[in-house]
Amino acid sequence: MDIHNIQKMVDEDGIIFLSYGGFLSQELISAMTEALENEVEINGITISSSNVIFSIFIEVSQNMLNYSKNKVINSRDITPTGLIVVSRDEDGSYCIDSQNVVAIEDKEKVEAKLIEIKSLDRDGIKARYKELRRSGKNTHGKGGGIGLYEIAKKCDGIDYEFIKINEDKFYFYLKIKINLKVRK
Amino acid sequence: MENLYIETTKYTPEIKLDLNGSISIIGKSYPENTFDFYEPIMKWLEDYLNLKNSETLTIDLEIIYFNSSSSKLFFDFFDLLEESNWNNEIKINWIFDIENESAQEVGEDFIEDFPNLDIQLIVK
Repeated sequence: MDIHNIQKMVDEDGIIFLSYGGFLSQELISAMTEALENEVEINGITISSSNVIFSIFIEVSQNMLNYSKNKVINSRDITPTGLIVVSRDEDGSYCIDSQNVVAIEDKEKVEAKLIEIKSLDRDGIKARYKELRRSGKNTHGKGGGIGLYEIAKKCDGIDYEFIKINEDKFYFYLKIKINLKVRK
Repeated sequence: MENLYIETTKYTPEIKLDLNGSISIIGKSYPENTFDFYEPIMKWLEDYLNLKNSETLTIDLEIIYFNSSSSKLFFDFFDLLEESNWNNEIKINWIFDIENESAQEVGEDFIEDFPNLDIQLIVK
C-alpha cells in the first residue's frame, strides 16, 4: 500500500473525505457530519444548500448502517464493508457516492423504490414522499421507510447499480449529485 | 406527570416539555433509533393532552436539519395534536433561519398536511 497514491487520488478527484470498512457507526456518522460542516463553512455555501448536503449524507450513511445489520450480510463469507465518498466536482457540485453489501431481500425493496423514483419528476417524488409519510406503511424499526424519497426530493441526480456477489448478496452502488448555491 | 428535559447531543435536539403549557424542540435531529429516542416525548405529549386544564399549549420547533425518520416522527407528533380531544388553543411555531430555505419548505409542507393546526412560520 502506497499512501501517496491515495493522496494523489484524493486530490485529483476532489475528494473531501472517505470512509471505508465495517466500522460505520452513529458516532462516526456524526463526526463526518461535523467535518462536512467545517468544509461547507469554508466554501461559503448557503445554509440551505449545506443542510441539503448534511441531510443526504446522514440518510445515505444511516441506510448503510441499517443494511449492514442484516443477518444475511453478517452470517457468511463476506465481511460487511461499506464505502462512502464525498467529493466536489469541477463545476462546484457535490457528489455522495456509496457502496455497500445488501441482502437480496433488501435489494428487492430498495430497487423497487429506486425504479419508482427514477420514473417520477421532482413534484411526483415530493407527492409520493408525503403520501408515504402519511400512510406510515413500509415503516420499519429504524427509519420511516422514506429515506430514499427524502434523498431524491432534495438532490439533483440519483443513480444506482446492483452487482451480484452470490445468491444472497449484492453490492449496492448509489451516486447522488447536489448542485449548490454559493453565498454571494 | 412531571416536566421533561433532554439535553442536546451532537445528533439530537434540546427538548423541553413543561407542564405550564410549553414545548420546545431545538437543534439537529438524526438519532440512530429515532422512534425509540422520541418515545418518551410522544408519551409525555399524549398524557399532557389528556390532562384537564385551561392553558394554551405553545410549541416551538426549530429543527436545523434532520433524517427522514425524524421527519416521519414530526409528522406523527403533529398527527397526535390534530387528533387529540384537547379543547384549548394549540400554537405551533416552526422557527428557521432566514437563509434556511429547506427548513422553511419543511414547515410549509406540514402546514399543507395539517390544515386544522395553527402552525406559524417564524423567521429567526
